[in-house]
Amino acid sequence: GDSWGIFTFLCAALCNLPALPALNCSEELGAGQSIQQTYDLTRYLEHQLRTLAGTYLNYLGPPFNEPDFNPPRLARAERVPSATVDLDLWRGLTDNARLAANYRAYSRLLCYLRVLDGQVGTAELRHRLAHFCASLQGLVLSIGGVMSSLGYPLPAGPAGPPAGPPGAPAAPNDFLKKMDDFWLLKELQTWLWRSAKDFNRLKKKVPPAVVTLRLEARGF
Amino acid sequence: MFSRWNWVACGFYLVLNICSPDASGGLVQSCGHIIPESPVLALGSNFTALCILNESCLDFGNIYASQIIWKIKNRLVPKEQYREINRTVSSVTFNDTSSLATPLTCNILADGQIEQNIYGITVTVGLAPEKPKNLSCIVHQVSRFTYVMTCTWNPGRHTFLDTQFRLKYRWPEAVFPDCIPKDVNNSCTVNDIQFFVNTEIWVEATNALGKAESDRLVVDPIDIVKPLSPQNVSITSGLLPTVLQLSWENWISDAVMTLKFNIRYRIAGDTNWMEVPPEDTASPRTSFSIQGLRPYTEYVFSIRCMKEDGAGYWSDWSEDKTGVTIEDQPSKGPPIWRIIDTSQSPACWTVHLIWKALKPYEANGVILQYELTVRDKSSLSSPVKKYNVTGTNHTLQLREGTYEVTLIARNSVGPSPPSVLLIPASNSKAPVKNLRTLPKHDKLWVGWTAPNNYVLKYVIEWCLVSSSSDCTIEWQIAQGDVQGIDLKGIKPFKCYLITVYPLYADGQGSGQSVKAYLKQDRPSKGPTVQTKKVGKAEAVLTWNHLTVEEQNGFIRNYTILYKTIDGNETVVTVDPSKTEYTLSSLTSDTLYTVRMMASTDNGSRTGPDFTFTTQKFGKGEIEAIVVPVCLAFLLIVLLGVLFCFNKRDLIKKHIWPIVPDPSKSNIAQWSPQVPAKHNISSKDQMYPEGSFTDVSVVEIEADDKKSFSDQDLKPFDLLKKEKSTSEGHSSGIGGSSCMSSPRQSVSDSDEGETTQNTSSTVQYSTVVLNGYRDQTPVQVFSRSESTQPLLDSEERSEDHAGGADSTAQRQQYFRQNGGQDETNTDRPCFERTKQITHASEGDLVGFVQLQISGQSSQPLGLGMEKNTQEAAVSNVLQTCTEGQTVRPETVEENPLSVDEMPKSYLPQTVRQGGYMPQ
Repeated sequence: GDSWGIFTFLCAALCNLPALPALNCSEELGAGQSIQQTYDLTRYLEHQLRTLAGTYLNYLGPPFNEPDFNPPRLARAERVPSATVDLDLWRGLTDNARLAANYRAYSRLLCYLRVLDGQVGTAELRHRLAHFCASLQGLVLSIGGVMSSLGYPLPAGPAGPPAGPPGAPAAPNDFLKKMDDFWLLKELQTWLWRSAKDFNRLKKKVPPAVVTLRLEARGF
Repeated sequence: MFSRWNWVACGFYLVLNICSPDASGGLVQSCGHIIPESPVLALGSNFTALCILNESCLDFGNIYASQIIWKIKNRLVPKEQYREINRTVSSVTFNDTSSLATPLTCNILADGQIEQNIYGITVTVGLAPEKPKNLSCIVHQVSRFTYVMTCTWNPGRHTFLDTQFRLKYRWPEAVFPDCIPKDVNNSCTVNDIQFFVNTEIWVEATNALGKAESDRLVVDPIDIVKPLSPQNVSITSGLLPTVLQLSWENWISDAVMTLKFNIRYRIAGDTNWMEVPPEDTASPRTSFSIQGLRPYTEYVFSIRCMKEDGAGYWSDWSEDKTGVTIEDQPSKGPPIWRIIDTSQSPACWTVHLIWKALKPYEANGVILQYELTVRDKSSLSSPVKKYNVTGTNHTLQLREGTYEVTLIARNSVGPSPPSVLLIPASNSKAPVKNLRTLPKHDKLWVGWTAPNNYVLKYVIEWCLVSSSSDCTIEWQIAQGDVQGIDLKGIKPFKCYLITVYPLYADGQGSGQSVKAYLKQDRPSKGPTVQTKKVGKAEAVLTWNHLTVEEQNGFIRNYTILYKTIDGNETVVTVDPSKTEYTLSSLTSDTLYTVRMMASTDNGSRTGPDFTFTTQKFGKGEIEAIVVPVCLAFLLIVLLGVLFCFNKRDLIKKHIWPIVPDPSKSNIAQWSPQVPAKHNISSKDQMYPEGSFTDVSVVEIEADDKKSFSDQDLKPFDLLKKEKSTSEGHSSGIGGSSCMSSPRQSVSDSDEGETTQNTSSTVQYSTVVLNGYRDQTPVQVFSRSESTQPLLDSEERSEDHAGGADSTAQRQQYFRQNGGQDETNTDRPCFERTKQITHASEGDLVGFVQLQISGQSSQPLGLGMEKNTQEAAVSNVLQTCTEGQTVRPETVEENPLSVDEMPKSYLPQTVRQGGYMPQ
């Protein structure tokens, strides 16, 4: 119950992010450093998710924990932001657009993840999920910080609160719900993998010493 | 009366109020209250309290604000601090809250006397919290995935109040639950920590008086991590003997953070760590090869890690792990030396080859055996001898000569380079020069000057000199280019004998030795000194050298200290090689105390005191005095004797005037004296004077002829008596009988009765031993059991009638005498008597001899005597009948007395003529 309250609060706070001004602390850090930190965090989340996903899929039980389990993506899973955009297309986007897409995707994923966390039965797994959630929230913040430091506006509006309360479209049955969870983790993995590449590229593009237009970010 | 009850009621009411202070508004209405209720006050601030009385009480108890008094605990607050605001309100003001205490009470003084409590409050005084300072955080890795962040801070001064600290941390958009310290106020641990996001951390301190916040700390927790040390450290030895590979596992995934490492290692048993250069291990890895190690050596390793970029903290060192490098060939040959024993015969050596086991870093493994090769260089034809030895010594019997010994140590990998020792026939080469030692802390440095020739090596032998056991030789080899070496393991205060031999390529120099101490001390005891000889003015002192163990250093000198009891001490320094010293110029006959001190460079010690007294006289002094004195005395004596001899006549006249002998006077022959005492005298023989008296009285009156012979016998008788009295040795029993019988026979004729009487009562032959004058009595006496005197007296009365009987008796006696003297068979008794007499006379020499010395001519005397005696034989025989036995000794004892006889009997001869010349 306690954690549920906290998560609700955090979700609320997250949903209100676009309204908030840019972070002071990220302003003070160089953009390159922020990018590096975000990259590290992405790697860290990837690493965490690798073990967490294994544990969670085991928790879901077969067939989800089978290594070659590759179900078709259901229509209802579409609400989970998909990273399956064409690579060339993705590369063709501007940094800003990519960052914004990342930002939106993680914000949405975080909300779903928290729903998932609330349903987990074992304390150990819940704890790890909670930790992962917190880290993921940190990633969202970091991306926001990077965008601020690079002078990009934070994505607004549609990326904010998901339609309806999280988990509102309840799965018609347990298996489908598990399928949702499976896809959630799978998408997370894909996103994190791609984000890591993005930030690595961005890191190379923006030397650590560069001080970007932070005033513009605030002006937004 | 009413008012009194009223007061009692009021008091009761107040008591109730006190008992339930917070019951105001409850059942019992309080008479007043204080504002503020339970204040918390800052220390040092000012404070005002109001006591408000209830209107009801005013009416009931007739009390007003002016009667209020304030108390802190039981102490009255001074009236100056009160203020009556109106008739129901009184205030009290404190300028400094530090004077406050709990409880603060509002009381009323009813009737000016009775004090009643209205209300009380508790006052809490404290401080607002200070701003916490020095906030610092560290993230500890607890397990592979678990990290906790512990932050510590300085909470500042004590507030005296309940102050709550909260550790707050947040992200810009997210707030995390506060961390509330448990039991402490200066640290808190956050269990869930997120990396790679900058986190703002601060501490908030809150109490009733205020709130304070520390400075904000913004940090990415990944930068303050103290990781766990690497686990599962393992060591594998590689192919090379100098390399070990260290491998481990990290607790932290590279995705979390990359690590750099520190590796340290040491030889097992050593304490000093060596470290792998940090730049070699500054990148993430799980293994590392350490090179440049010693073969066959056990190493201990440990490793730690931290974030690669240096942010954060080093982990603890991992647990020590050990690994051993593999073996390698021994790096050098063992040092070898020899001891040659030629005690059996100079030509036949017993050579003890000794070598030192290689040090572990030289052996590079386990030495399995030593291979010894001995080559006789003096005769090329003789074969090379080889020995395999497992110990570190080998003894050979060799003929005198030059040998080359080669030693190789072998381990499982291979052999060492050979060590070569040349044993020459003689150590004829140049020795080292200027051998010297110098103590250096706990080592003894031995230095020398190299000989002119090129020296291959030096061998330094040393051993601890001991008086009780042989020197156990230790040795060491130094290279030829050094001229000094430190000896280790040298004990202080011990004497070491150090010998250095130079070894040349073609021979060996003779050894030079030096004695040395690492450290000297004063001797452990002083020498014990004693005198060997003491004279009048000098004394010879001796002592023994201290043993090596007692010396504790080089004895530089001995010091002799001697003094008389009250005199000053005299000090003499003596060379340490001596063991004897002569003290001279001493005072004679004086007690001296002497002691001796042995000195080393580091002090001295004195031995026990020894006392002696010098002699009073010097050597020969006594002799010089005594000998002349004795000589002088002797001379004086001699002179005196000579003088006396010359003047002997004169002296004799004065000292021994010639007293006429009454017994020899003719007148005495008819003296009417009764020889009654004869009987007594035989008993009383110890009084010779009496005997003389008796003798002088005895006379034979009856017959002239007989009396003549009797008379003639008298002197014998006398002498016999004397003799038997004074000295019994010459008179046997027979002698005694002879002695008594003539007397009896003499007295027989006229005093038959008496004689008879006497004979019957007198005990015969009582010989009283008494020394004559200064002479010692020697002899024994025999006592005759015989009753013959009685018979004799009877027979003798018959004898008067006829001599034939006497002849027969004589014969008989003669037989009894048995072979005494066959030549004198015709007059045995005479002979015997004469002898006896003479024996007695011999004793009387001092008496008689002087008397007759000048007179007689012996031949005459003897002849005359013979005649006389011949004539007297019959009487004598008669007398002799009484003597039963004659001891032959008597005769033989004084053979010379025969010669003297004439002297004794000369007067008789004279008397024979009937004339006494006196």
